Amino acid sequence: MTSMTPTVSASGLSLHYGRTRALDDVSLRLTPGVTGLLGPNGAGKTTLLRVLATAVPADRGAFTVLGHDPASARGRQEVRRRLGYLPQTPGFHPDFTAFEFVDYVAILKELADRRERHREVRRVLDEVDLGDVRGRRIKKLSGGMRQRVALAAALVGDPGFLVLDEPTVGLDPEQRMRFRELIAGAGEGRTVLLSTHQTEDVAMLCHRVIVMAAGAVRFDGTPAELTARAAGRVWNSTEKDPGAKAGWRTGTGSFRNVGDPPPGAEPAEPTLEDGYLLVLDGADTEVTA
Amino acid sequence: MRVTAVRGVTPDLVGPVWRTLPWRALAAAGILGLLVAATPLVTGGEPAPWQTLLLLRGIALIGALGLAFLLDDPARHLTAPLPTPRPVRQALRVALVTPIAALWWAAVLLLTPSASRPPVGEVTLEAVAVGVLALAAAALAVRLTDEARPGPFVAAVLLLTAVLAPLLAPEGWALFAQADDPRWPAAHDRWAVLAVGAAVAGALCGPEPLGRGARRIRGAGAPV
Repeated sequence: MTSMTPTVSASGLSLHYGRTRALDDVSLRLTPGVTGLLGPNGAGKTTLLRVLATAVPADRGAFTVLGHDPASARGRQEVRRRLGYLPQTPGFHPDFTAFEFVDYVAILKELADRRERHREVRRVLDEVDLGDVRGRRIKKLSGGMRQRVALAAALVGDPGFLVLDEPTVGLDPEQRMRFRELIAGAGEGRTVLLSTHQTEDVAMLCHRVIVMAAGAVRFDGTPAELTARAAGRVWNSTEKDPGAKAGWRTGTGSFRNVGDPPPGAEPAEPTLEDGYLLVLDGADTEVTA
Repeated sequence: MRVTAVRGVTPDLVGPVWRTLPWRALAAAGILGLLVAATPLVTGGEPAPWQTLLLLRGIALIGALGLAFLLDDPARHLTAPLPTPRPVRQALRVALVTPIAALWWAAVLLLTPSASRPPVGEVTLEAVAVGVLALAAAALAVRLTDEARPGPFVAAVLLLTAVLAPLLAPEGWALFAQADDPRWPAAHDRWAVLAVGAAVAGALCGPEPLGRGARRIRGAGAPV
């Protein structure tokens, strides 16, 4: 765990939707760099991101972003001035061009000087490799390009805290790789919280990973520490081991098992995904009523 | 990067917000309203005063159904946590559409037969009240839900209310009195109260809540 001064500190965040517990006493602190947020569907990842992005207030607890507390209207305004947010389903005005849409977001981010704002919009569109199509209407862009328009909208104004909710969902491998480069670049000098189902994204991008299940934090550490959770608990066999927590046939025809190995099992090199599976093992993985 | 107050960015917002308005719904409602208003003129009929009043009330409802879509914003989830406050954005939408709605209503009144036209001030008050109700309902839907496009739901609720209100409203309220009914002035006092009440409710729905239950832990937010 890094000892850097946290840019985002949260303590005791809880949120209920009716009788459903979406967040359960979540505390964390984030430092510059990319932090991955892993968890199964319904774990509360999106809810946590929405709370930290000030899109929805928590029932209990509090947090600060770059020293500002969104509990007051003025504080929330200050947080929003320092925030970039890419939601899971961004939504666009399809008749806008990429430039017009990012410019619209820039105006909403209070970038008032038109010349400076347009320069900034061109900068972020170039940063996400959309400089050549900035005059094209969003409805004419591919899914990957639209996702990059949304990332450009999040990046405009150079926010200190970037919240990305599953930005690589639905992208092909090439686009995902390109997106990883962009996120890695965005994480230089700013705090990025990246929600994802892709453990490879976390392994490649993140200096730190948080695993959530049932609205609570189950693990908070480095990717290496998460991987180490599976040390000695992954083995190969010719048949699926019934005692394994999880097991699957690999491309070589052997079975890879995760759990408590039987005596004499052939150990295998653990991965971050193995550690993730073991952290989730035994935890309620969905929010509970 | 120079950052200025909301006042500085609002003029720049006019163009983009104008383009984000739900023009299809507004145009559909506007055109339908004008067609209905022009029906007596086209058919050469001479409707009775109560028929013209019913016609105008129906047209006001059509216009309100269009306004129910005014706060729809497909990019809502992306633009929600941005510094320009939601009330500013909503007020700008209302401000942009108000002159158009006023011109449209004036055209509707001009198209209806003058001989059977009810008092313009009172019937305009009814139209304003129904329109403001639609906007307040849309603001409430934005406040209470995460829907990017609550318009269809709001319109359905508005339509249902319009059907049920004359049937279920207490007799003493007489909101839907005829022009020659002695209860006509009192009814329009109630329309005025309804319009003001809806406007206040809509305005109160604008600001985003800071907390849910406002139960906060002392010292929370400090580094953990």
